[in-house]
Amino acid sequence: MNKPKIKIFLVDDHPLVREWLTNLIHQQPDLVVCGESEEAPHALQEISATKPDVAIVDITLKHGSGIELIKNLKASQPGVAIIVLSMHDERLYAERALRAGARGYIMKRETAKKVITAIRQVLAGKIYMSETLAAVFAEKFVDGRLPAGGSLVEQLSDRELETFQLLGKGYETRQVAEMMNVSMKTVQAHCAHIKEKLKLTNAAELLREAVRWQENNPAS
Amino acid sequence: MLGFVKQLENRSRFALIVLAFLIIALIGLVDYLTGYEISFSVFYLLGVALAVWYVGNQFGILVSGLSVAVWVVGDLASGARFSSPLILIWNALVLLTFYLVIVWLLARLRSLYHNLEAQVRQRTAALTDEMVERERLERELLEVSEREQRRIGQDLHDGLCQHLTGATLAGQVLEGKLAALNLPEAADASKMVELMEEGIDLSRKLAKGLYPVEMAADGLMLALEEYAATTSELFKVACRFECDSPVLIHDTATAGHLYRIAQEAVGNAIKHGKARNILIRLEVGEESTGLSIKDDGTGLPESLPKNRGIGLRIMAHRSAMIGGTFAARRDEAGGTLLTCAFRAESESSKTRREQTQN
Repeated sequence: MNKPKIKIFLVDDHPLVREWLTNLIHQQPDLVVCGESEEAPHALQEISATKPDVAIVDITLKHGSGIELIKNLKASQPGVAIIVLSMHDERLYAERALRAGARGYIMKRETAKKVITAIRQVLAGKIYMSETLAAVFAEKFVDGRLPAGGSLVEQLSDRELETFQLLGKGYETRQVAEMMNVSMKTVQAHCAHIKEKLKLTNAAELLREAVRWQENNPAS
Repeated sequence: MLGFVKQLENRSRFALIVLAFLIIALIGLVDYLTGYEISFSVFYLLGVALAVWYVGNQFGILVSGLSVAVWVVGDLASGARFSSPLILIWNALVLLTFYLVIVWLLARLRSLYHNLEAQVRQRTAALTDEMVERERLERELLEVSEREQRRIGQDLHDGLCQHLTGATLAGQVLEGKLAALNLPEAADASKMVELMEEGIDLSRKLAKGLYPVEMAADGLMLALEEYAATTSELFKVACRFECDSPVLIHDTATAGHLYRIAQEAVGNAIKHGKARNILIRLEVGEESTGLSIKDDGTGLPESLPKNRGIGLRIMAHRSAMIGGTFAARRDEAGGTLLTCAFRAESESSKTRREQTQN
């Protein structure tokens, strides 16, 4: 019966949230909070030391960004399942967080009911997200907007691919035009074609897709 | 005529002195050639007037004397004879007096004229200063309200919402404890948690209204996209957001102003223009980045009621604050076209580009 408890680490810059999250988690007989932190560098150290099973991370922290912390944890502590718990809009940050390596995203307004569910789900090896967000992802998938292995990217012409890569590296439209030595209009036309071919609805999505592709194909 | 007067004022003093002498000489010559029977005395006034107006009173008096002398010499040379030299002196004195009276009158007139001009200049300057000051105040007002809204919005988002989250968690802990004791009050605790969650949602929405654009550089694109969708749904109009290639705004304040411009323009289009279709565009041009809002409403009226004029002015102020230019006009197809063109290049992207070039 003396099974070791599942260890959870909290990273949130708000003391009240940490305190009651701890109380809530401790109501579960098999869960224990093994440590907490309010900033990224300290959290990274502590997590390496305490080796938790799950880390609950906020995106806005006292020092450093939650997304960066997730990337670092993913690299140094691949065994830790990360759940993001944030006030920020899931439509804006969930995809980023999940791509960075998180296994779940909870918006703080729905914490109470969902935190324990999310912990159980990620422990079971599943990804946790809200139904709304799941629906958005499902729709994208059905529309073929989430290409498997970049097959859609292969349909891009050389110039379009170059535009796509430069955008992914963080250059802005004006800079892309200068670097490719073409007019702004041409870059915009390339963008329109890329959106069409990759089935992206808007420029913000195009940008995120370009960044994601660049992260997965850093050699190009 | 006034233009001619002004034009002469720009000539050098020396040129004007020479011109006055030339006029006197020319009239003297004509006076001599036409003979003494025809009097040309009044024409010397041209030279006298020129001398007083443009050069000065003393020179005017000098030219008056010279004119009288030329007149006397001219008449004598062309054969005028008087029964007594006193008559000639008398005539010359009358003429000189006449010229001097004119010199005096012109001198007074000139000083009045210059005083008036100076006064107008002074008033204009005061008025311009006041206008500049008023615009500065209007801008400051905008900046202050923007800053305060953002601060309150951020406090709501980062402070109150987080606090409520803590409270919700506490409520849920309570619910768990009550449920463990098999007490029916657990349901009440659950209801309380729900209410507090609604509270979080409400304050989040409030924060969003006060502080609509998220901090990330692509926040404006997303915020405008969302705004267009909400507007379409809420007002039963077709409001679209178009953006061909990514437009990144690194400065949150700039993004905020652009969002508010779009918001005001779309609000006007629906409220006053009765528009059915609205297009918000964000695009990068060769020189600048542009935000435009086009609608198919009734268009801007010839004269705006006061409250709408203020709306337009605030949009213009917002544009000015981000170093952009604002224009509002009737679209060729009817409706209104509002544009704000601004330069959007962050320091970081500049340095990055420089690094790339090196």
